[in-house]
Amino acid sequence: MSGVRTLTGNRTVPGPRTFRLGKRLSFQYRRRSVLICLLLTIALILVGAFTLTAGELGLTWRELFGLAVSPPQGSASFVLERLRGPRFLTAVGAGIAFGVAGSLFQTVTRNPLGSPEVVGLTSGAAAGAAATTLWPGYLPVPVAAILGGAIAVGLVWLSTGRGFARPGKLIVAGIGISAVATALTSLAMTTVGEQQAQTLAFYLNGSLASRSWSHVATIAAALVLVLPAAAALQRQLNLVSLGDDMAEALGVRVVRTRTVAILLAVVLAAAAVSVCGPVAFVALVAPQIALRLLGVSAPGVVAPALVGALVLTLSDFTVQQIDVGAALPVGIFTAALGSLYLGYLLFGEARKGVL
Amino acid sequence: MVPAQAGNPGAAGAGAPAALRRPLLGAGRGTALLAAGLGLLFLAVITSLAVGAHQLSPAEVAASLWTEITGTGSTYADDVVASRMPRTVLGIVAGAALAVAGVIMQGLTRNPLADPGILGVNAGAAAAMVTGMAFFGLGATSANVWVALPGALLTVLVVYGLASGRRGSTPVRLVLAGTVISAVLLSYIQAIALTRPDVFAMYRFWAVGSLSGRTMEQAYDVLPFFLVGLIAALATGRTLNALALGEEAAASLGLRPQTAKVTGALAAALLCASATAAVGPIGFVGLAVPHIVRSFTGPDHRWLLVLSAVVGPALLLFADVAGRLVAQPGEMLTGVITALLGAPLLILAVRRMRAVA
Repeated sequence: MSGVRTLTGNRTVPGPRTFRLGKRLSFQYRRRSVLICLLLTIALILVGAFTLTAGELGLTWRELFGLAVSPPQGSASFVLERLRGPRFLTAVGAGIAFGVAGSLFQTVTRNPLGSPEVVGLTSGAAAGAAATTLWPGYLPVPVAAILGGAIAVGLVWLSTGRGFARPGKLIVAGIGISAVATALTSLAMTTVGEQQAQTLAFYLNGSLASRSWSHVATIAAALVLVLPAAAALQRQLNLVSLGDDMAEALGVRVVRTRTVAILLAVVLAAAAVSVCGPVAFVALVAPQIALRLLGVSAPGVVAPALVGALVLTLSDFTVQQIDVGAALPVGIFTAALGSLYLGYLLFGEARKGVL
Repeated sequence: MVPAQAGNPGAAGAGAPAALRRPLLGAGRGTALLAAGLGLLFLAVITSLAVGAHQLSPAEVAASLWTEITGTGSTYADDVVASRMPRTVLGIVAGAALAVAGVIMQGLTRNPLADPGILGVNAGAAAAMVTGMAFFGLGATSANVWVALPGALLTVLVVYGLASGRRGSTPVRLVLAGTVISAVLLSYIQAIALTRPDVFAMYRFWAVGSLSGRTMEQAYDVLPFFLVGLIAALATGRTLNALALGEEAAASLGLRPQTAKVTGALAAALLCASATAAVGPIGFVGLAVPHIVRSFTGPDHRWLLVLSAVVGPALLLFADVAGRLVAQPGEMLTGVITALLGAPLLILAVRRMRAVA
């Protein structure tokens, strides 16, 4: 069911190598994984450089390399510190958060289509944001979005009867709760004034326009809090991807692992939604791309994080430079890109998916 | 209609889906359920004609209906009933169309979560509408049937073409193609709506779906498509039952799975397209009604189709009435209410099912 590349008899994958530091500390790594992650990092840095230099407002390359030795001057500093710097870093942070959240979801639900959208988080966040237009003045939009997402996930958790233990029920409950949340969003969309509805629609697509350092700080704080815990959970998660019974037999407390993983994913996704709105498809696609690049069965944390960051920054770079007479929210682009990629992926594999 | 013995262990043994190990619905209980469903629908129709900004009694509705039929109405009550006629008729058409299309899609894809919109019908209709609004000066007061319908049907053909490999289409490929095409079209719709404020102003209302502000002409426009789709759909019951055993089993029972799937998908597409064209993309009826009905009837598709065709309109009409009641003197869009009503019912149905997906 999950995106496992089974090892056919005649195709072997080199096993992991072990890195040792003294007698106590050791960890395993695979050459290919390390190489891929390095390449992804280089690609991300390149996208960053292009983001800062492209277009009329962009820095010159000389200014960009000059940053290494001295702080920027004049217009360069404005572009870097006010316009594109925070925007790029927010995209990196949110991309990492979406990628890891998606990876956690897909591993525990053993479903290649598992994502924050599935447990109603995204639609809940959207409803939270929409509620602020119906009843203005109580909460700032990001806070309302996180609250909405949390309420939706809580309701899904209650609806499934036994927590998140049954992926099938989880998905159905998610659909139901999402529908209610979407109904609330539609209600807001059709009752508020024209201007407000426009703004709301923009937010709901997910946009990185005019981000500031406070957004960067928000997402960075969430990553610092959650990523270590997610990394610590990796070993159990890899075992859970083998199936519940197998994992139990190997001493993993499956239900607890699943609940913790989903909670971590929810926090990450909620933080990302709070800084750039519910951007579509990044959480869904990043782990799948990572899987294929690494050629492993469970994508882990690092590769999906890097892929997520790359997808989001690249998409945002594109919408910044595309000229359609108006600024497009980045979410429209990721949705188009993600759906095309997903189509290619799933048709190529013709796997069974649960929708 | 006495169901064949599908309950014997040979046909549905250990390898069959859990749903098939339940006994099929007997003719007596089925008829009783159908009678109950028809009663519910009748109640929904009367309520839909009686309730709103101006309340009528059931007796007044009955009298006005009579004058409506004989064409001699002149009292105030007659005018009120006449003004609520289009939305009631369209509620019946759209509710039945969405629910039956939902049963077929869930049966064809052997996936209880399939929604009739899964073939991209809604997205196709919406994309056509938005294109019309943006480039051809189309108004949004009505879901223009002659724009939405071709858009929807064209999308289904594209999805089908994408999903058909060398050996026909598998349910999974169909679902994936539909999802992908829908997502692409949705991006296109959003891109237009967000860059063109005038289009956005119309689209945000159309996108929710509503029974209000419709005319009888619109009902007559979609009626032929709806009827063709409905008749084709009601004939697929046995086929869907056989397909539930898996395609090879169905073929060994003397069925042609490919032909059956094409007919079924086309019927569902026609139904869904006519509903969307008539009242906009009303969500959730097609997903929730088959589930709710299935929790009473069990897995026999013949009863499922018939009962869904009755319960779907009832749910949609009650939702529409609720929308008129909660937001008086105005009204709340029907699409919002269907989701609010349908979701809890869906979750209840799921909790009653022993195994899902």
